[in-house]
Amino acid sequence: MKWILITLLIGVIMIIAYSLSEQYKEKFDFYSNLKNFLNQFKINLSFKREKISEFLKQVNSKKQFKIFTDEYMNYLSKGELNLSKIKALDSEDIPILEDIVKNIGKHDSKNEISQIDSFLVTVSDRLTKAEADKNKLCPMIIKLSLLFAIGVAILLI
Amino acid sequence: MCDFLIFLVMLKDYLPRDIYNLIVKTFSFNEITEIRMRVNERLIICVKNKKYYLKNDDGEFIIVNKNMLNNFITRASENSIYAYNDNIINGFITLPKGIRVGLTGTVVQEQGNIVTIKDFQSANIRIPHIVRNCSLKAYDYIVGEQVKNTLIISPPGAGKTTFLRDLVFQMSEHNNTKNVLIADERNEIANSINGEPSVILGGFCDIYTNCSKSFAFKNGIRSMCPDVIVTDEIDLDKDLNDLIEAVNCGVSIIATIHARDFKELKRKKGFDKVLDEKIFSRFILLSNEFGPGTLVGVYDENFNCLMLGE
Repeated sequence: MKWILITLLIGVIMIIAYSLSEQYKEKFDFYSNLKNFLNQFKINLSFKREKISEFLKQVNSKKQFKIFTDEYMNYLSKGELNLSKIKALDSEDIPILEDIVKNIGKHDSKNEISQIDSFLVTVSDRLTKAEADKNKLCPMIIKLSLLFAIGVAILLI
Repeated sequence: MCDFLIFLVMLKDYLPRDIYNLIVKTFSFNEITEIRMRVNERLIICVKNKKYYLKNDDGEFIIVNKNMLNNFITRASENSIYAYNDNIINGFITLPKGIRVGLTGTVVQEQGNIVTIKDFQSANIRIPHIVRNCSLKAYDYIVGEQVKNTLIISPPGAGKTTFLRDLVFQMSEHNNTKNVLIADERNEIANSINGEPSVILGGFCDIYTNCSKSFAFKNGIRSMCPDVIVTDEIDLDKDLNDLIEAVNCGVSIIATIHARDFKELKRKKGFDKVLDEKIFSRFILLSNEFGPGTLVGVYDENFNCLMLGE
């Protein structure tokens, strides 16, 4: 019985640790997708010049980035934007994204490309930070949680 | 009197909701021809020939601010100004269902070429109308065994495009099987959206949208073998050679031009050549006298009146 409880406890701690670390991975994935989205949009501006709504429909988005594209579409149709739904982002990220959403499509293609380039600089910085956090914090959270779980287990034994 | 097909309801998605509601409450949909927005000025609604300031429920005038105008243009371009820039550099955007929005602002040029318009100063929302049968009185003078080369003359906003649209439609309605090529340089005749005309023009029309008249005339004659070429707002100085070329290829031309009367028309640069070459054998004069589309008369190549209008 005791061993079962200890195993359960370690399991619960590790699940919590995994979900905590997953947040950093999701943030990294989100910014990777956003960077890819902006690069693809830049290509669109140079060639097809599809409207942003048409372009968004073609984006193959998953997980957190899907929430972003859905919210973007909502903004285009109703003018409402609620990016706090994206769990992977913190309060520093949301103004950056709002800036992107609210300013895309307000210029001719040449100026739009310049603007996307400036967004890409910001997004690349956030991506680098998200990658550093992911590489540093994810293993650390797992290791610390494992140590904590083992410590608790030893105390219980 | 006229069977209006109005697209004003489409504006709900683009105008601020409170302004749209005020317009709907104050004016009849069928009668609005233009909505004019100028930065820091009162919003104007044009009903037939008259202009009205829009007022709110407290009787205060609605003043257009920069933000309101920019939001309208952003929405009108579906948040994609870049996708509409080819039109914007020509001073307009066409909304779905053919609502035409004329724009003014700061024109940006690079190496002598206009690249865009920024800092918008005004927008003129022109509500298209389809006035069925408005060309019927003049129809028999233009269309017979052959379609006569016809010049439709009217001042701006007097219904020449509406007349032209109906004339094309009537040709199809009267089982005239002539192929009609529409050189729709500013997308005003067919109001095409993604290749689909918003206006029913009949089953014998081929449409070049947003292309120069020169391109449409030269390529169209070669590739589409039209019997008739229809075009809006010709510039005699610029388009005359293309017109002569088309007429000499056996293609009939129906075109429109801005002028209040024959005096103004004759003063236009290049018109003396039109007379010398006898390009047009019918002149249709329209006016604003009893509202847009008032037919003044139909005239032959020597300006003899064949029929008087209203």
